[in-house]
Order: sequence, then C-alpha cells, then structure tokens
Amino acid sequence: MELVGMRTRRFARVLALLGALAMVGAACSNAESDGASKDSNADSEATKTVDQPGVTDDTIRVGGVASISNPLNAPYGDIFTGVKAYFDMVNSEGGIYGRKLEVVSERDDQIANNLREVQGLLSQDDVFAAVGMATIFDFSGAEELEKAGIPTFGWNINEDWTGKANLFGNAGALCIGCPTVDLPWIAQELGKKKVGILAYGVSNSQKCAEGMRDSFEKFPSAEVGFYSDSLSFGTTDFSVEVGKMKDAGVDFVTTCMDTNAVLALGKELRKQDVDAIQYLPNGYDQEFMEANGEFFEDSIVRVPFRPYESQTKTKGLRDYLKWMKKAGKTPNESTTYGWINASMLLEGLKAAGPDFTQQKVVDALNQKTDVDADGLLSGIDWTTQHDDATPPLACAAYVKVTDGKFVSAFVPKGKAYVCMKEKATLDDEPTYE
Amino acid sequence: MTDLLTYVIKGVPLGCVFALLAIGLVLTYKTSGVFNLAFGAQAFLAAAVYYDVRVRHGWPTLPAFSFAVLVVSPLVGLLLERLIFRYLRTASPLAKLVSALGLLVALPSIVQLWLGKGQTFGVVGIWWDDNALYRFGDFVLDGKQMAILVCTGAAVVALGLLFRYAPIGLRMRAVVESPRMTELAGVNADRVGGFSWMLSSLFAGLAGVLLAPSFAQLGANDFTTLLVAAIAAAAFARLTSIPLALLGGILLGVGQALLAGYLPPASLLARNLRPSLPFIALFLLLLFWPGLRTATQSKDPMAGVDPPPLPPAAEERSHLLTVGTRVFGVVVFGVLVLLSLTTFSSYWLLIFTQAAVYSTIFLSITVITGMGGQVSLAQATFAGIGAFATAQIVDTWGFAVLPTMLVGALVAAVIGALLAVPALRLGGLFLSLGTLAFALMFQYVLVPMEWVGGGLTPLEMPRPAGLDDDKAFFLFCIAVLAVVSVIVILIRKGTTGQFLDALRGSEVAAQSIGINPVRSKILVFAVSAGIAGLGGALLSMQEGEANPVRFEYTWGLFFVVIVVTLGARTVEGAINAGLGFMLMPEVLKWVGLPASWQFVVFGLGAITYAKYPDGVLEANKRKSLAFIDRHLPKRFRTGPDRGGPGAAAPVAPADVAVPTGGAS
Repeated sequence: MELVGMRTRRFARVLALLGALAMVGAACSNAESDGASKDSNADSEATKTVDQPGVTDDTIRVGGVASISNPLNAPYGDIFTGVKAYFDMVNSEGGIYGRKLEVVSERDDQIANNLREVQGLLSQDDVFAAVGMATIFDFSGAEELEKAGIPTFGWNINEDWTGKANLFGNAGALCIGCPTVDLPWIAQELGKKKVGILAYGVSNSQKCAEGMRDSFEKFPSAEVGFYSDSLSFGTTDFSVEVGKMKDAGVDFVTTCMDTNAVLALGKELRKQDVDAIQYLPNGYDQEFMEANGEFFEDSIVRVPFRPYESQTKTKGLRDYLKWMKKAGKTPNESTTYGWINASMLLEGLKAAGPDFTQQKVVDALNQKTDVDADGLLSGIDWTTQHDDATPPLACAAYVKVTDGKFVSAFVPKGKAYVCMKEKATLDDEPTYE
Repeated sequence: MTDLLTYVIKGVPLGCVFALLAIGLVLTYKTSGVFNLAFGAQAFLAAAVYYDVRVRHGWPTLPAFSFAVLVVSPLVGLLLERLIFRYLRTASPLAKLVSALGLLVALPSIVQLWLGKGQTFGVVGIWWDDNALYRFGDFVLDGKQMAILVCTGAAVVALGLLFRYAPIGLRMRAVVESPRMTELAGVNADRVGGFSWMLSSLFAGLAGVLLAPSFAQLGANDFTTLLVAAIAAAAFARLTSIPLALLGGILLGVGQALLAGYLPPASLLARNLRPSLPFIALFLLLLFWPGLRTATQSKDPMAGVDPPPLPPAAEERSHLLTVGTRVFGVVVFGVLVLLSLTTFSSYWLLIFTQAAVYSTIFLSITVITGMGGQVSLAQATFAGIGAFATAQIVDTWGFAVLPTMLVGALVAAVIGALLAVPALRLGGLFLSLGTLAFALMFQYVLVPMEWVGGGLTPLEMPRPAGLDDDKAFFLFCIAVLAVVSVIVILIRKGTTGQFLDALRGSEVAAQSIGINPVRSKILVFAVSAGIAGLGGALLSMQEGEANPVRFEYTWGLFFVVIVVTLGARTVEGAINAGLGFMLMPEVLKWVGLPASWQFVVFGLGAITYAKYPDGVLEANKRKSLAFIDRHLPKRFRTGPDRGGPGAAAPVAPADVAVPTGGAS
C-alpha cells in the first residue's frame, strides 16, 4: 500500500516536473505571440485596421522602463502617473482613432538592469510605443530601442538620447559640459560677483562643473572664486569648503550634486553666515523645498518646463494640473515628464493619421519644429534637435525660493521662459516667452 | 596654525560618528568574534524607525529617540544574537563573516521595503533646535553637531564606567578572555553575549539617528559607505581597544578635514586622494598596522584547524545514480539550450545568456571561496577590470575582441595576484576587508578616470566577429562556461586543489609536507580574478558596453552571498547561482513582489552558510540522495564504507571533530 502511494507520489512529481517545464516553455515563448487580433471591425470612420504591435481594435498599448527602485529614493516611477493622467484625459474624450490609450507595463530596471528590462518591454509586453522612460543613471537599452524603431518618449537626462531618430525626450540633445551664457547671465542679473562651483569627484559631476567654469570664463559676468570637483559622493560635511568660499567672498554658489549635498551645503552656508545664494539646476521639488526651504531662501532653481507657479497657465499646464488633481497625485518633475511624453505620443499619432504605424509616428514627429505639449514646454524642433544641442533659441524657466515656495523669476508678467539666441552674449537682451 | 586648528575642530563631529560606529564594531568583535559587517545596516534601520515615528507619526523627539535607540536597536541586537550569532560562537570565522555579509545585503532591503518608495525628506535631529548656532570664539557648531559631540562623549563615558564598575561589564570582559572559564565560574555566557549584542546595536542605532539629519533623506547607501570609515577606525583599534576606536574615528574625520583644507581643491591629488581617504586608510592599516595581526590571533589551540570538508554528494552516490543524474542533467540542459535557440523570445534568450555569463563569473567564487577558503569581496571589481581592460585595448589599438578578452582576463589575474601578495599576509577576515577596500577604491577613484572606466559614457564593447546574432552569442557564452567549468574541475581535482584542501585544514601541517602556501594562494587568487575578468568581458560584450554600474562593489557582496547560499564548492553551485540570479527577479515578478526581494531572499539565505557550508542545494541534494539511496535495490546502493550521502548531517567545519568520509 505504501509502495503504491509512493509510486503515485513519484508519478505526480514527474507530472509536475513535466508540467513546470511545459509552463516555462510556454511562458518563455509567449513573447512572439502576435499583438492581439488585428482583424479590426472598424466601428467608426476613424478606426482603420492597423497591423502594428500593441494595437488592437479598441486599444493602443504602451509601456515603459523607469528606475522605480533607486538609491536616491527619487520618484522616477511617478513618470507613469503623468502618462496615465494624460491618457485619462484623452480617453475621457473618446481616445484616438476609436482606441483608448493604455499603459500596460511599468518596468523597474533598478538602475542596473536597463538593457534587460528594455528587452522585456520590446519582446514580452506587446506595446506600440515606449512611453515614460526614466532611466537616469544607465540607459543601456537605448540602442535596442533605436534598433527596434519603436517610438520612445522619456526623461532626457543623459547623452544616450542624442542622435537617435525615434527617441523623443522632454528636451533635445544635451551637451553636458558645454559652456552656455544662461548661468553667467543669471549671475549678472542678480549682481553677483564671486562664484563658487562644487562637484563630486565623479565624471558626470566633474564634467558639469567644468562646463559651468568654462561658461564664466567665456562670459565673465562674475569671477570663479572657489572651484572644487573632488568631493566624495555622499559627503555631508562642507565646513572647510564653505570656510574657503567665505574667505574668497563667494556670493553665488552653483553645484552639480544631489539633494543630500545641496541641503548640507545650504545648512553650512547659513551656519558660517555666508551671504550667498545657491543656483540649483535640479532642485525643482516642491516636497523637498517645503521641508528645507529655510536653507535656500532666494536661491534660483532651473525648471526645464513651464513652472506650475507661472502666472499665465497655458492649456497644457492647466490640463496637467487638473488631471493630476483628479488622479489624486501631487505634481512633481517625474509626473510632468510623463505627461509631456504622453502628449508627444498623441501629437505623433495625430500627425501620422488613422492608418498609423510606428514608423509613421516617428517620421511625423521628426517633421515638427515646435513640439510644446500645449505650452508646457518652450518648444522642441525635432527636425534638428536630435543631434543639435545648441538650438537657435534656447529657453528655460527659473524660479526663486521664497518662504519655501517657488516664485517665477527673471520674466515679465505673463511670460515663463527666458530665451537666449544661439550665439548670444551677456550684452544681448534675452527674449521672453 | 589657526587654519590647522580650524580644520581639526571642523573634522571632529564627523569623526565622532565614525567613532560611534567603530566602537560598536569593536564591541561586537570583542565579545562575540563576529565582525559585524551589517553594522551600517543596523544604523540605517534605527534611523528609519526614528524617522517613521518622529516625522511620519509626529512623536516628540525624546520618545522617538528612546524608541529607536533604546528599544528597537537593542532588540534587533538581541534578535540577531539569539536567532543567528549565538549558534556561530564556535563556527569558523568564514561562517561568521558570511552570515554578517548576508545580513548586510538583506537588512537594508528589508528596511527599504518597509519604508516604502516615497521620498523621506525632513529628517529632524534630536537636539532642541538642529539649526541653532553655538559660537565658541571663532568656532561655530550647529545643533546637529552639538548632539553628536554630547552623545558621543556621554556614550563613551557610560561605556567606560560600565566596563570598569558594573558587574555586567566585568562579565563581558571575562567572556572575551575565556568563555569556558567564565562559565565554570557560574556566569551565563549566553546572557552576557546577548547583552553585548544589545549594547553594540544600541551604538549602531545611536550613530544612525545622529547621522540621519545630515542627509536630505534616508538612503541605505549613505550608511553603508560610512561603514568603511568606521572599519578603518576599528582596524586602527586592532579590533580590541575602544579608546583607540574613538581616537581612530576622530583622526579619520580630522584627516578628511585637513585634506579638504590643504589640498588645492581642483588638483589631481585632491580629486583622487580625498574621496579615497577612508579606503586607503583601511587598506594601509590592514597591511601595516603592527598590532592588528598579533591582537587577533586566537588563543584557541584548535583555531585554524578545519577538517577537510565533506566531498560533494555527487562523489558519494552510486554509479547508477550518477549516470542517471548526469543523463537527466544533460537532457534538461540540452532542452533548455534548444528552447533558447528555437522557441524562447529574445528576452528569455538574454536571460539565459546572462545566466551563463554570471555563472562564469560565479565560478571565480567557487575557486577563491569554495576551494581557497577565502572570501573576496572584490569579484565584481575583477569582472570590471576584465571588461574595462578589454574595452580600452579594443578601443585604443583596434585589436580583435576575442583574443583581447583573454588579455583582459590576464590583466585581472595579474592585478588579483598583486593584490594577493600583501593581502595574504592578512588572511581570513582581514583579507576580506582588504578586498572590500580595494573594490571601493577602484569604484570611486579609478573607474571615473577616462583611461579606466571611460569617463562620462560607458566604453563601447563590440562582439567578436560572427557573433553579432544573439543566438550565436548565447552558444559562445555556453562554450566559455563549459571551458571554464572544466578548468575549475581540473584545478579542484589536481595538485593545486589538493594543496588548497590541505591548507584549509592546517596551514602549518601543509607546510610541513612541503606545500608552499603563498604560491598556492596567490595562484588561486590570480585564477579567480582572471575568471571573473573573463566573465566581466563577456558581460560587456553581451550588453555592447562596459558599464560601470554592472561592477559596483555592492554586486561583489551580493555575488558572494548568492554563491555561498546555493553552493560555493561545486561548478553546479555556480551555475545554479547564475540561473538563480537571473530567474529570481522573474519569479518575484510572477508572484507580484518587487525585485529587491531577491536581496532579502539570498541575504537571509547566506545566514544558513554556517549550517550548510556547501550551500542549501547541496545539502538538499544530500538529503535527496540519502532518501533515494534507501529505496534503491541493495546492489545499487552507495557502499557502506563511504558512509553514504546524508549519513552524516552537513555541519559547520568547526563543529566536526573527526573527518567523516573522503573523496572516492
């Protein structure tokens, strides 16, 4: 009896093993399954049969890869919140070409697994477009996305986005380390005379600091009184650096570091009673500033899109704030990029027409010279800005920290952006948009 | 002179934080023999608890501080002692180190999962007003620094009084001197040990809570990186002297301030020396601090005498089972390869390709840990060296990538051998710490340089001619894995393997029969680094670039943890680890858990090392084989003279009094 039971159990185990192998095979092979039934029964004039990955009769599926888990605890995963908020708005108006837009995959590359997750997105998830790519430290999947030709939208913060025709960031090509006039112009506007520049002893940070230093050399509105690009990553003690800046009479401090460092620096500046403000290229974070605003009073923050505090709210900004509120989410930089990404996809789909394909969307966007997410951006010229990091007119918004809040800076009433011509000098008056 | 004094004073508060952590490390090591690598993680845990109750739940400062530092931290220490380290008192130093390493990997992930994904801004300090300024002549301290100075002073004085006057302090000192003698005198050594863990954990918690307001938000990395400085201070204290730990921590903080003050801020020296000071200090201390080796020599006459490890279960089973298992293994492997080439999507092909690549890298741990009995925490770094060297040579001189890959492996092997020469003077724990210091120095100082890691953008790495197709490259990786596996098996079965077995047992005895320990260990270090370098080059080829993110020191910690969990002594263990590393995230996704759970699973898995030094799978294999053996017809069973698989339960080497069984 026991022997029979044992044999039965063994048989069951063999069956289970075979079943598991079969499941593995099935799971592993599901990727190449077709992108759902594409034998469309068009129910409206606009709905045409579209034989494209991720497109069904009633849905356009998209997905993305973000560093949701990251050591900075930064909310990069919120980029999907912005995408979904935009899709909610579009879907509430009937979608596009009779189809709803849907985010079907939100992959977490945990920083180190970007290539793997991009491969997964491309081969497992059956998506029409990659929307909400927020891979800040490592975008090794960029080549794969380019090879696949899939329309890709995300947060452009590294040079992997440059030169790839189907990759559309929230900004055009970047040149980290290139001297520009905007920072010296800000120092000039504020009447600052001595600049302190601090960076970590790692290449990205050093390159960024070199660019700032070169900017002041090329456009000498102020003198660089202190320069250090040798700080340990994770350092929180700036007592010596601040002491030296104080001795040098520094009144304008700019950094290429994370929020931990700029906060510690702000505290030390106050402690040593240094009369200087900070310029924060990456500090547009309401939650952070609310908690720590007292250390950044009068500091200037660069914002790559129309700030929420703008007096004139464009349609894009109004819609964005409204739909974020509906979603019950607090707007932040990541959600804004998600919204902008989704908006670009829609613009591409509209331009491509009802019989859209991935290639048509890419081609259509690449013919556009002013993609601005309904005024949420200052406008990107995709005919040139995949490669050209110095567009004819470069615009950025700036806000000043006042009582822990952001207030628009440097622009006349009703304007949001300060725009510099390609070869502008300090003597040239910027334009405002 | 005024400048000097200014810099010295500015360095003291940070030095005090290093000192608190160092004191805790020394305290644990003195009383339990465990070098608690998870100390930084415990500090992070306390800071997270403090943040949660103080900021999220709005508790007043004092109750929040008391709860995090005086209640939770000692409780965590007690739990660690009761559940894990109590059973390791007689275990080998390797087992203790691996267990602590497992905790270092698991604990931050557990805390992070508990904290959730949201941002954690606004950590409030324990002083009345963090930002209040206190002027002492020309010097200004803020509330946060005052808290650090006052708490450090109070903690050190209290500790001194405890050791000097309190009965428990005397007992703690007695347990350190001789646990057995102390027990003969009627003292419960277990209870004393538990108290020591509570006390040291309290120090970790105190350091964590004091440090937390220095950061804009809580992040595990900030705490673990600081641990390196604390380890350097503990090494300065020879792991025994609490006053020296205090002094070492402060000296390191002051040293950093002096470098910041006197080095020209944008100079090459400042760029390289400043960030690496704690790592360089640790490395130099480990190599040259005279008291370090003598102070840590065990008085136990059995110390350093490990019996030969049990032979792998595969070597003990009957011929029938061996044939059957191999046939089954070949069939499963063949089916998987076939499916990869015909059915699997490009995603799954990538997963199995990377599994093969990581298995190759993990074989380097089979060599250094499984065969050499040493724990190197720099295997990811050696993989990086192989990758960067290959990419740089291909990029600079345009050589073909295939032979260059071997050159890259050779570069890694040479660097491994060079590192081994001084590191082997240390042995055991200190060798591991030395490799950790090297890994950190490589990551923070060398990789950012253009001629090493390529600078701003990762170096491009082409694939060998004819292997652009992913399927062809997959087969190539399998072939490399097979070749490296054969080499590892040959080394294990050859003279070098026998020498290493003998050296693991007793170095003195091995020397007495003519084995040169230095040559054998350097060889094994070099071979291990070379294999890792080869795997690193393969990984970069697969990804098309030598990406520094892949070779960060934290991966080196995780690699050791995953391999020792699944089996460090066999090729099969390394392959299981490679598959586990790649497939676990998929399993977690499938059950709806975040991928970071893999750090929890494998981190906690490593704690089982003391019980299953051959790995969990090997232990289960023994049990399975024993079960099967019992049910086989008599003529097919394992011979009785060999004991049979599972006849002796797998035990920690130090627990084995008499060697049981031998390789057939």
